Amino acid sequence: MPILLTLWVSFRDWTGIGSPFDSEFTGIDNYRELLVDPGIRRKDFAISIRNTFYYVIIVVPAQTVLAMFLAFLVNQRFLRGRGAFRTLLYFPSVTSSIAITLIWLVLFFPSGIVNRVLPIDTINWFDEPNGVIHNVAGVFGVDSAPSWARQEVFELSMWEWLSGPSVAMFAIMLLAIWTTSGTMMLIFLGGLQNINPEIEEAAAVDGASWWKRFRYVVVPLLRPQVYLTVTLGVIGTWQVFDQVYAANQGGPQKTTLTPAFLVYSQAFKNSKAGLAAATATILFVIILTFTWIQRRVTGRSDEAA
Amino acid sequence: MKRTTSQVLAFVAVLAVSAAACGDSSDDSAATTVAAPATAATTAQSPPASDDPGAELRAWGWASSETEDSTLTGLLGEYSSISGDSVTFEPQPEYDTALQAALSAGDPPDFFYVDSFKLPDLAAAGALAPIPDGVITDPGDIYPSLQSAFTFDGTWYCPPKDFSTLGLVYDVDALAEAGIEPPTTMEELAVAAAALTTPDRKGLVFGPELARAGVFMLGNGGYIVNDDVSAMTLDSDANRAALQYLADMFQAGNASTPSAIEAGWAGEALGQGKAAMVIEGNWIVGFLADNFPDRNWDVVEMPAGTEGRGTFAFTVCYGVGAEHESDAAWDAVDYLTGPEGAAKWTDAFNVMPARQSLRDGWLSGHEKLEPFLNGAEYAHAWQFTPGFGDVVGEFNTQFEQLIAGDITVDQLIASVTEAGESVLG
Repeated sequence: MPILLTLWVSFRDWTGIGSPFDSEFTGIDNYRELLVDPGIRRKDFAISIRNTFYYVIIVVPAQTVLAMFLAFLVNQRFLRGRGAFRTLLYFPSVTSSIAITLIWLVLFFPSGIVNRVLPIDTINWFDEPNGVIHNVAGVFGVDSAPSWARQEVFELSMWEWLSGPSVAMFAIMLLAIWTTSGTMMLIFLGGLQNINPEIEEAAAVDGASWWKRFRYVVVPLLRPQVYLTVTLGVIGTWQVFDQVYAANQGGPQKTTLTPAFLVYSQAFKNSKAGLAAATATILFVIILTFTWIQRRVTGRSDEAA
Repeated sequence: MKRTTSQVLAFVAVLAVSAAACGDSSDDSAATTVAAPATAATTAQSPPASDDPGAELRAWGWASSETEDSTLTGLLGEYSSISGDSVTFEPQPEYDTALQAALSAGDPPDFFYVDSFKLPDLAAAGALAPIPDGVITDPGDIYPSLQSAFTFDGTWYCPPKDFSTLGLVYDVDALAEAGIEPPTTMEELAVAAAALTTPDRKGLVFGPELARAGVFMLGNGGYIVNDDVSAMTLDSDANRAALQYLADMFQAGNASTPSAIEAGWAGEALGQGKAAMVIEGNWIVGFLADNFPDRNWDVVEMPAGTEGRGTFAFTVCYGVGAEHESDAAWDAVDYLTGPEGAAKWTDAFNVMPARQSLRDGWLSGHEKLEPFLNGAEYAHAWQFTPGFGDVVGEFNTQFEQLIAGDITVDQLIASVTEAGESVLG
């Protein structure tokens, strides 16, 4: 029902104030503004897609691998205080995302603990709009767009598309990986406890090191859990909102703007609820597509295994 | 019955949009009313002589300081004892979201805060009742610029409760130490900013946004759009000069954004001694008094550009919802914004009365704040048209790039103008 209503509103010029039934039908105008007509709306949408795309392709694999690894560690029967470790690792997942983002902001202050620990020049993490890939390219002397990258595709130049996540977004990614891996770890723990310990013992008797046991015995047996966590991860990361809202509200220089945040700001700050609904609908389609691709990919490797 | 169904559907539509925006976060403030604890003042008043039980009104506003909440509740208590109507003030944590949900569901509060920035959106959607003739006491007393900030398409919608303007707030000791007089022109400001900058302190600090940078454009006689927000006017020599002036000051290291020096906002930077001068409004006064009582500060009007001084007026009014418009609601609004209520309201803390007749009375308690009040004479209302917020956002983004030295003034003007034209059509 809400999905259908969102779809319905996305074809109207509803401002978000007053009843949507008084708004006018505007056909595909909202979608045109986001996808076809050049202008600020399409540009903001393109920027949000770029930001979130990098966010998804980095956060999802990282949190899945980390979670699997943590689950494997805390599942070791020889580990003392397993319960305490599990609680500690799960803690960030049950803390309010807004509260934890604020703590993160303090940690990443220029004079914060992260800058003190890292042996690099002080970085004002959450205020740094430069792309990570741009920064790496800068190390190799490429600090402005080469001629092939100046061409504009969908409002942004190739150079802007290839910027990578900004340093500010990167800090939010680290936060997301840290907080979500606790939840995913629980899913993997559930999977691990379903694995008959004799299988691992047999591998150990055969002389497999712990790494080999992890890589060749445990990981293949956890395939259903991998499928679940990656699917949840893809859906969750495309919808990233809380952290962005609490940290930077899309800044610096729109580099932490995400489609979900755009939906919020269009609907509630800019009185463009119709446009927001259209953005939400496109986001929905993107998530469906990604989930479908991911299903195809994991499905194929299932046959190979 | 039909009506109820459509109200429910409308509400679900809002939830759908907010659910899409929030994922499965627990932020459900849109749907919940956080009622202020009913104080003795609002509930225990016995109605006056008549047997009329009086209307029960709900008023919404955003949550701010406790002083503000308690002042308003006290004022509403006094109103109850005069009128016999009882008014409950319910501050909302996520105000825009909560108000939009209530309006869509057809159940808005009787009257509520409306920011001048938001007024065109609400008025265009028909959410506000226009002011009926004669319900507001002496409307001619209200500053014309503030009255026009709440006028949309020729209709006056709501009376301002108070207002704020921007001024140049400075650290008296820092200026005295450097032997500098408070600057009165933009040239003097640049010189002062350079002289006041030390390794631990920036001469001038303000947030990288149109709501601050715009005062320099106004001072030069320019601005981002024309008066009725129908055409972009950013591409002018006046704006070019103002933006170049700011870019130079930032790139020379004499000016800074608050975040670059680890301050949440310019007021905090001034309090911490990281800024010698900041561009802020009168809301800074209470903040400094509460958090940095030792900071010796003062304020002057914004330094003049080639065409005089420029500042913005930020103002909030009490709007009466079109849905439940009642005489009682207008009566309460008139009390709160009328000569008596507004005097009590603005005396309690550092917002300025929107009525000219209250000027002298207010100044006798707030002598130091006269520069802010003087700004009312030439202030530009902080207001655009529905949908223009995107252009302001684009300006802010480009302005950040400008002061970082990533783009030139001409590039900023070209891309913001393009963005503006795509919105204004």
